[in-house]
Amino acid sequence: MFATEAPKHWPWILAFGLAYASLALVVDNSYYQLIMTNVLVWAVVGMAWNLLCGYSGLISFGHAAFFGLGAYFVVLAQVAWGLTPWIGIPIAGVLGSLAGLIVGVPTFRLRGHYFALAMLAYPLALLYVFEWLGHQEVAIPMERESPAAFMQFESGRVYIFIGLAFVLLAMGVTRVLEHSRYGMSLTAIKQDEIAAEASGIGALEWKLRAIALSGGMAAAIGGFYAVVQLIVTPLSVFGVLVSAQALIVVMFGGVATPWGAVIGAVTLVPLSAWLDARFGAELPGLQGVVYGIAIIAVILLAPEGVFWKLRDLLARKGLIADTATLAVTESAEAASARFRIEREGSRLLEVKNLNKTFGGLRAVDDVSLEVRRGEILGIIGPNGAGKTTLFNLINGFIRPDRGEVLLAGTRISHKRPNRICALGLGRTFQVVKPFARMSIADNVIIGAYVHAASLDEARRTARDALAVVGLGESAGHVAGGASNRNLRRMEIARALATRPEILLLDEVFAGLTGAETAELMELLRRLAGLGITLVIIEHTMKAMVRLVDRFVVLDHGRVLATGSPDEITRNPAVIEAYLGRKWLDDARA
Amino acid sequence: MSTAQHVENFLQLLTAGILTGVIYGLMCAGLSLIFGVMRVINFAQGEFMMLGMYVAWYCFGIATGFSFFPELIAPYAAALVAGPVVFLLGLVGHKTLISRVTGTSSARLDSEGHYAQLILTLGISLVLANGAQAWFGSAPVSISTPLSSTPWIVGPLRGEEILIFVNQAQSFAALVALAVVAAFLVVMGRSRLGRSLRAAADNPEAAVYMGIDVDRAYRIAFGLGVGITAIGGGLLASTNPFQPHIGIEYVIVMYAGVVLGGLGSLGGAFLGGLIIGLVRELSPLVLPTQLQNTSIFVCFLIIVLLRPQGLFGKAARRA
Amino acid sequence: MLELERIHAAYGEHGVLHGVSIRVGRGEFVAVVGPNGAGKSTLFKAISGTVAVTHGTMRFEGADLLSTEPSRRPHLGIAHVPEGRQVFPSLSVAENLLIGAETEAGRRAWRENEERILAWFPVLAERRQQAAGTLSGGEQQMLAIARGLASAPKLLLLDEPSMGLAPAVADAIFERIVEIHREGRIGVLLVEQRVAEALHFASRAYVLETGRVVLEGATGPLRDDDRIRQAYLGM
Repeated sequence: MFATEAPKHWPWILAFGLAYASLALVVDNSYYQLIMTNVLVWAVVGMAWNLLCGYSGLISFGHAAFFGLGAYFVVLAQVAWGLTPWIGIPIAGVLGSLAGLIVGVPTFRLRGHYFALAMLAYPLALLYVFEWLGHQEVAIPMERESPAAFMQFESGRVYIFIGLAFVLLAMGVTRVLEHSRYGMSLTAIKQDEIAAEASGIGALEWKLRAIALSGGMAAAIGGFYAVVQLIVTPLSVFGVLVSAQALIVVMFGGVATPWGAVIGAVTLVPLSAWLDARFGAELPGLQGVVYGIAIIAVILLAPEGVFWKLRDLLARKGLIADTATLAVTESAEAASARFRIEREGSRLLEVKNLNKTFGGLRAVDDVSLEVRRGEILGIIGPNGAGKTTLFNLINGFIRPDRGEVLLAGTRISHKRPNRICALGLGRTFQVVKPFARMSIADNVIIGAYVHAASLDEARRTARDALAVVGLGESAGHVAGGASNRNLRRMEIARALATRPEILLLDEVFAGLTGAETAELMELLRRLAGLGITLVIIEHTMKAMVRLVDRFVVLDHGRVLATGSPDEITRNPAVIEAYLGRKWLDDARA
Repeated sequence: MSTAQHVENFLQLLTAGILTGVIYGLMCAGLSLIFGVMRVINFAQGEFMMLGMYVAWYCFGIATGFSFFPELIAPYAAALVAGPVVFLLGLVGHKTLISRVTGTSSARLDSEGHYAQLILTLGISLVLANGAQAWFGSAPVSISTPLSSTPWIVGPLRGEEILIFVNQAQSFAALVALAVVAAFLVVMGRSRLGRSLRAAADNPEAAVYMGIDVDRAYRIAFGLGVGITAIGGGLLASTNPFQPHIGIEYVIVMYAGVVLGGLGSLGGAFLGGLIIGLVRELSPLVLPTQLQNTSIFVCFLIIVLLRPQGLFGKAARRA
Repeated sequence: MLELERIHAAYGEHGVLHGVSIRVGRGEFVAVVGPNGAGKSTLFKAISGTVAVTHGTMRFEGADLLSTEPSRRPHLGIAHVPEGRQVFPSLSVAENLLIGAETEAGRRAWRENEERILAWFPVLAERRQQAAGTLSGGEQQMLAIARGLASAPKLLLLDEPSMGLAPAVADAIFERIVEIHREGRIGVLLVEQRVAEALHFASRAYVLETGRVVLEGATGPLRDDDRIRQAYLGM
């Protein structure tokens, strides 16, 4: 989706603009003109929602807060200060962005449904505040002197053109952003926030940028909506239906594309308007029922939305090309050279008296160890020995109760995972964490962005990393469908692309066949040859004894033994921890 | 105002808060079974409450029309009828719609499966609220009982100075709510059904190993949860006018109560709802009365942002 | 009693079991050992129906398991004691046992069963009213086994009962398992990472590696087989 040249969307966007404008020139009926304007308004609100929620996966039930603030600002500024909407709308946009940040800072601590519900509370609270302030119904003052200067026009057609300008602008912005670091980072966060943080993405920073943009866009179009409707009431701009409509047009049309909101608005807004006109007198509330049914149908029948459904259909029929791949042409050896590390100092990673307790269970109990630059260290121990917890403490996913971790002399134990990643510590996961809907190449590009200034540079780094692990041919495949072998390699490539000095590998051999294990060992030896320090967790010693320089054995959260493979496999305490006490008894017997 | 007037005002609001809070508590207990215990997100809980109100209103109309019941009992009998009716609606709604995005089948929807519940129930909420508007009209209706107009008067206390009016209709509604909550807690805590539901919620996978039909358990829990909330709605309807769009605000009220009480605890949810009711009724002491509802939303935000594990301590994280 | 023929199982698109055949006779004690990721827990989940089986047949006392709903399988007499214990943490010890006894056979036999179970695990009688989540790891493991026994099973599936337990506690639990097998005349299928214990107590064993059975047979000869030591220690 990202690694490739974007399919040509610009001509389509232009074509849509021309077609809509032509239609506007033909339609004379002022009611139809109003509907055509409303379609554009909801398309923009949808795109605003999509900028945050479509890419990050957070669901907001509260975009009405931004929309309503924008609408009220434009109306009240004109009433109170005679400020024209031409200026009021851009200011509303800025205010919306600010509101986004104010809302975002506390609310991004929440996830999932808590986030959605908290977002719902903002517009509902504002609704009553505006009622209490006495703004039950505020009308835009008519400017008879110079109406155009106040965005007041005789013909409804002009509003369509202004709305269209909003839509094209919003589509353009979305289009540019989704292919930039913005889109990639948010998409990575959406698919696996933990893996994203470990790959160097600051999740909170990206979400704040997103909500500022999204809130600004929603507030600006809210201001325009007020101008079109002439009257603003708390319910019409802060009501639940506003937030719901923003979400529904996007969900219906398709998330994470500018086309989704447009498709949704073009379909649903006229449909509900027509039904309302036809049956609204006998059946008030029909509009809401239409939106409700639309979203229920979408979730049950095509959860990805109309746009993606159509796209899949066309791709299957061969009518549009599937995404091309990042061409990996270089040999693994040549590409490897670019990850070589030549630094001095013998102690790279120091773990000092680390402790972590989970509800009474001492997961990591006073663990101290040292990793020397350039070595391959194996950390082994039975299930539940605290190996993965140790990794999580080192790379910043969890904070230690006591003790500290130093990376090349720098204390990292209270830094965030994305900062630790940027400092040169990469990791993979016991259960692989791919960004499942992205291509393998895009997964690796995410990692490359930690040190890359531009998409081009990130792509170059990713290409090298893919060459090193030997995934060149599968680069264009979607990660979710990849084999275990390829996923393990993809994770290594993603970590490698962050240009690490040290790699933490959590059970990389799990589930691999004998041949695949041998192949992976060769790759790990090559990485070690580049000067990259490796720390490998394994449950079994098999394979490891021929790979590592040194073992640390954990049992019940403590260091049981340290030493060369030879020493460790002869150590009775280790054998007991591994094969059980009876092994030695039976052996003696 | 004199001190006595302040005290009188406070006691008056406190009484109203307790009476309202008990009913909120009942509604919260219903949501708690669905969300706190089963971890199914139901955004349409407020609309099921609204349906409970209309069912009660409809039954009350029939009962008084044919004078089946003495007028004094009719509103409460009608509210109790709303329970089983909405229970059945909940079973059907869960079987046909919600079960398709929860439990075992939601794995197929991968990362978006989690949001599917949220958005599906948003759709259900829109259809129910707006459908009710099409069906019943948007004019507020109410269940009027003669009790509403005859308060008990407590006092005078402290030498003629303090008089507290206790709304009789609210008091009866609160008593019925208490009885329903007590029965509900006993069923959930002591019966075989309750034990199976709690086991299925605690660990659905292990529940399968115990031979529990987990899909069925979830369906029953959903029906029970909306049914209990609907009774709360029916009781609320006996003292407050309502209209089809009332649900959306109560969804926040209920989630606030459930989160405050600590996820997974039905009794906690009841207390949480009671506190939310008190907050709402006491807020006029410091805020303009128009902002009563805003106080609840702000309260909800404070709770989820600062103390998502709830007041009563139980850690939100499950073993 | 339990017969698995060429079972293939997968999580989504990732195959985990590739044609595993295993049998357990009535009252037999059989062990399944192998390194992490070999598919041991998946094998149990396939038997209980919480993982999709793509090919193969599975019979329990003649009944076709694959066409039996997962929640019906315990009623046939299979008790699965899952990895990581998975007791119901908010339920009391007594309630956990009662949930276990929800099967048809379990409810009929509850009176005498309860006595037997509490005799095997007296600590559970002391902790009766305590929430299961507050028990220690070893007590939770005992409760998990007891809960399985409450269903009056013919076959007990034990998934890593020693996981995360101190050696002395694990030893005590193994002793109890042997007793249960002997006195209760219940078949046991044991997955265990402590190979030595598993091979010591079981009469037959299967060694699983990357979803395939690589070794099988009576445990006596297996104990002396160097390939097991190799699979774990690599030398």
